[in-house]
Amino acid sequence: MSHQDMNRDDDLGLEQRLRAALRPVDPGAGFAGGVMARIATERPGNVRTFRARAAASWGGFALAASVVVALLLAHQQQMRRTEQGLEARRQLIEALRVTGDKLDLASRMVNAPPPAPNSSDSGA
Amino acid sequence: MSGDQSCTSGELLSRAISGDTAAFGTLVRRHQRSVYSLALRMLADRHQAEDLAQEVFLQLYRSLSRVASEQHLAFWLRRVTMHRAIDRMRREPRYLTTPLAEAGLVAGESADADPILEHRLRGLLEELAPAARAVVILRYQEDLDPVEIGRTLKMPVNTVKSHLKRSLSQLREALTASGAGGGGDRPAPPQPLPSGQRTLV
Repeated sequence: MSHQDMNRDDDLGLEQRLRAALRPVDPGAGFAGGVMARIATERPGNVRTFRARAAASWGGFALAASVVVALLLAHQQQMRRTEQGLEARRQLIEALRVTGDKLDLASRMVNAPPPAPNSSDSGA
Repeated sequence: MSGDQSCTSGELLSRAISGDTAAFGTLVRRHQRSVYSLALRMLADRHQAEDLAQEVFLQLYRSLSRVASEQHLAFWLRRVTMHRAIDRMRREPRYLTTPLAEAGLVAGESADADPILEHRLRGLLEELAPAARAVVILRYQEDLDPVEIGRTLKMPVNTVKSHLKRSLSQLREALTASGAGGGGDRPAPPQPLPSGQRTLV
């Protein structure tokens, strides 16, 4: 018998022994009764029926949908405010530009040299 | 209800989902042996195993609508039992190793020819790490193949195979060292496997 054959025999022997050692065993006689008693004593709110679970999932869905809608509305409002801000900024810049032009014109008029006297007046 | 005994687990499942607690009770009785044994071999404590198995069935009761079929039910029960057992072992490290004297208390009710060797094997099994122990138990108690074990424990198949290989070699060495390998240096030659049982590697 080769070494490999011996190892395979060892494995088979050990596997058989493990199967024998791990044979399923029964729990105590009152096991199922204990489970049913625990189910019965649980508060009704804890053991939820299929309908209750379905209602809870619909509630969860509705809540999630509300949150999404609220977020969308908040986002839209934020966008509107940003646009208003940008428009106000644009108008302010325009107003400053017009004011600057006017001041520039006024400054030029103030600082302009007085008109030279007319030559025909000097001969009179 | 005596009529429940002849129903398939699938029929019982449908009735339990629609609120028939008697049908659920029959389902519990039908699967209690497997669930309890898995918990017992993992925790090596009868009371803890019974408590864990009851919790698994309570969780099943709350999750019935998510169980799609009879096959899914067996898979679900195994998976939840093993994960809960591993969690409990990690939370309470006393479960990680059990003295051999205590391990003897959880021996199966077998009329096997070599109860001392079985007792020794169970003791050695309790010295394995939780994941390796779970793999060996699913393989040799539930007769699952590595792919099914991987799905149950959410573990890659190669990891399952390496756990099995390493655990078997660890168990074989320990048995040989203790001289419990069938009365000699090597275990006794194997008997033919009963039909339906698969060999490992």
